[in-house]
Amino acid sequence: MEGTILKTENLKVSFGNTLVLKGINMEIPEKQVTAFMGPSGCGKTTFLRAINRMHDLTPEAKVEGIIKLHEDDVYKMDAMTLRRRVGMVFQRPNPFPTMSIQENVLAGFTLNGIKLKAQEKKEVVEDALKKVALWEEVKDKLTARSTSLSGGQQQRLCLARTVAMKPEIILLDEPTSALDPLSTSKIEDLLYELKGNYTLVIVTHNMQQAARISDVTSFFYLGELLEFDDTKKVFTNPKSEKTQNYITGRFG
Amino acid sequence: MEAISDRGIKRRKFKDKLFRYLVSGLTYCCLAIVFVILFYIFKKGIGSLNWAIFSQLPKPVGETGGGVVNAIVGTLMLVSVASIIAIPFGVSVGIYLADNRGRKMAGRVSLAVDMLQGVPSIVLGIIIYLWVVKPMGGFSALSGSIVLSIMMLPPVIKNTEETLVLIPNTIKEASLALGASYFRTTMKILLPTGIGGIFGGCILGIARVAGEAAPLLFTAFGNPYMNYNILKPVNSLPLVLFNYASSPYDDWHKIAWGATFILVSMVLILNIIVKYFENRWKVQF
Amino acid sequence: MEHLQAELDSLRSELSQMCNLVLEQLKRAEKVFIGNERSVLKEIASIEKLVNAKELQIDSRCETILALFTPVAVDLRFILSALRINGNLERIGDLADGVGRTVSHSKENFDKNLLEKVNANGAFKGTIEMFECLIQAYEKEDTLLARDIFVKDKLIDTIVNQAISIAEEYAKNNPDSFSQSIQMLSIMKMLERVGDHLKNIAEEIIFYSEARVLKHGGKKANGAE
Repeated sequence: MEGTILKTENLKVSFGNTLVLKGINMEIPEKQVTAFMGPSGCGKTTFLRAINRMHDLTPEAKVEGIIKLHEDDVYKMDAMTLRRRVGMVFQRPNPFPTMSIQENVLAGFTLNGIKLKAQEKKEVVEDALKKVALWEEVKDKLTARSTSLSGGQQQRLCLARTVAMKPEIILLDEPTSALDPLSTSKIEDLLYELKGNYTLVIVTHNMQQAARISDVTSFFYLGELLEFDDTKKVFTNPKSEKTQNYITGRFG
Repeated sequence: MEAISDRGIKRRKFKDKLFRYLVSGLTYCCLAIVFVILFYIFKKGIGSLNWAIFSQLPKPVGETGGGVVNAIVGTLMLVSVASIIAIPFGVSVGIYLADNRGRKMAGRVSLAVDMLQGVPSIVLGIIIYLWVVKPMGGFSALSGSIVLSIMMLPPVIKNTEETLVLIPNTIKEASLALGASYFRTTMKILLPTGIGGIFGGCILGIARVAGEAAPLLFTAFGNPYMNYNILKPVNSLPLVLFNYASSPYDDWHKIAWGATFILVSMVLILNIIVKYFENRWKVQF
Repeated sequence: MEHLQAELDSLRSELSQMCNLVLEQLKRAEKVFIGNERSVLKEIASIEKLVNAKELQIDSRCETILALFTPVAVDLRFILSALRINGNLERIGDLADGVGRTVSHSKENFDKNLLEKVNANGAFKGTIEMFECLIQAYEKEDTLLARDIFVKDKLIDTIVNQAISIAEEYAKNNPDSFSQSIQMLSIMKMLERVGDHLKNIAEEIIFYSEARVLKHGGKKANGAE
């Protein structure tokens, strides 16, 4: 296993009076796919969103503990700088509706006020779209509205938008749960290819997906981290009985 | 057993039909009233439409003919200046309300906007008379614009807020997740996405105030001559209506109908423009 | 599903390697028994360890694929048959090793006449040919070729059955070489079992290619009974 890219120490998140994450210690390995799985309400999405400080937008949320990206404390750095280093892909594809396909890919630059020359723009767009296997399908209609694409294509566009910024980590919040099986399969293949160059952290409620694409799997239950191990070990011989009950479908 | 439930069904079906007819009937009545009014205005007004009405100044009492060109110019002036004041303020408040939904302060602001909407226009006119006309020492187009802008605020604010609220939160999150600042997110993503609704709100505001006469009585006041100076009193179409319609002269009645026709057409066209652009700029989620 | 396909491809090539490894062991057994090349005995013993290690490796990969990918249809049939083929190959490896052990226990070389009478050479060659044919069938997924194995196996069975009576006679006529004839018989029996395992493997190839279960007498189609 390569080094650790992200480390959390006793991370707690509460909304109002409810403690949702009860002190999580985790080390996420670099350039691998780490999956978070667990039943609804277990805290896996809360944990993911704490990494890129999306909870800053929720006034009732309180985050305690430390998250370190390499050696930098995530909650001490500028949130906007953080989010350029940590990208996020959401559950429902959300390309910007007023922007064309290529404008969407470049959105990260536009929104950060980074000016690119025309040639650089072309390169960034082509590179990002090729990385997400969308180039062939859209190269002749780069100026079309992004909403003219199918759901699966839109999600790949969102991934391209994230990848164009060359983040250190890409967080994915149930990226295929709103897609049909064929699109899901395409995106899973894509993630498998991307992991050589990016660290991917994916929340999924589909444990078969976690089994298929991740290198390391973690199991969350009621705000606690019950298991964190090589995916192969988790699915052939998990350490925790609750994990076993969950993946065998015996959960009550 | 069959007979009893059967009876119930017949009665329910009858009630259903009755209700449906009632609803449709009342709707058609309203529609009919609108059409009758428009048709009447059209009939009365079209006779007065000639080149003179659009190009000439009002003639003094006793002389026939004349036009309302100064009123048309005045209305345009009042409305544009009012928009320049109201739109930035209104859109900003709309953004604030959309962003801070659920918070106490936003609740208070929302209440204030609702209260503002409820203030009678003539009362606003008097207030501005006291705050602007008196210190300035005279009536002016500016004071008229100020009153109109205050009246424009509620529709602009409400429409902006409602449009922005309808934008799924996930779009905003996507922008922030790319490292965008709140300012850039609003200016480059949220406002362009909501431009249809926001624009609609502005036009509705304009349509509303274009026909207001009462507040202008104490502010813009009226002017028999052409005036392009914002610091001087100015004529406007609703004022013409007010003055001419209540006069004893037939001649003036005709001009009043002409002015009515122009005003109503303006509002109608604005509404059609709103519908058209809202559809064109409609964003599907 | 590229990831699954990559795993299945790795499994396929590992099985191929296992096949070839075990085939070589069988050929070594032939050298030792027919050709009396006792120098090969050490090789057989050390390669046997490799064969066992490979069996564990293949089992582990099958377990991983089942756990992580929940394969269905042809992929599932392939994994199930891979597990069974793996087991059969390991048993063949054991038998080849067994031949080596039996030879090393006998102090003298086997009587060439006896071997000729019993057609040990034919039996060995037949088995090796069966194995090579099987490897072809596996690599090409050629079920017709796989069915040929059943025919070939009959020949081996015939040779071995006859060997029993020949050995009896030999033992009567050469009482000093009694142990030789027993050991020879035991080696011939081992060969027969190798043939059986090869037949099992052929059944598995047909199972995952055609989803037909041919075990326990369900045989049909060309060449089979």
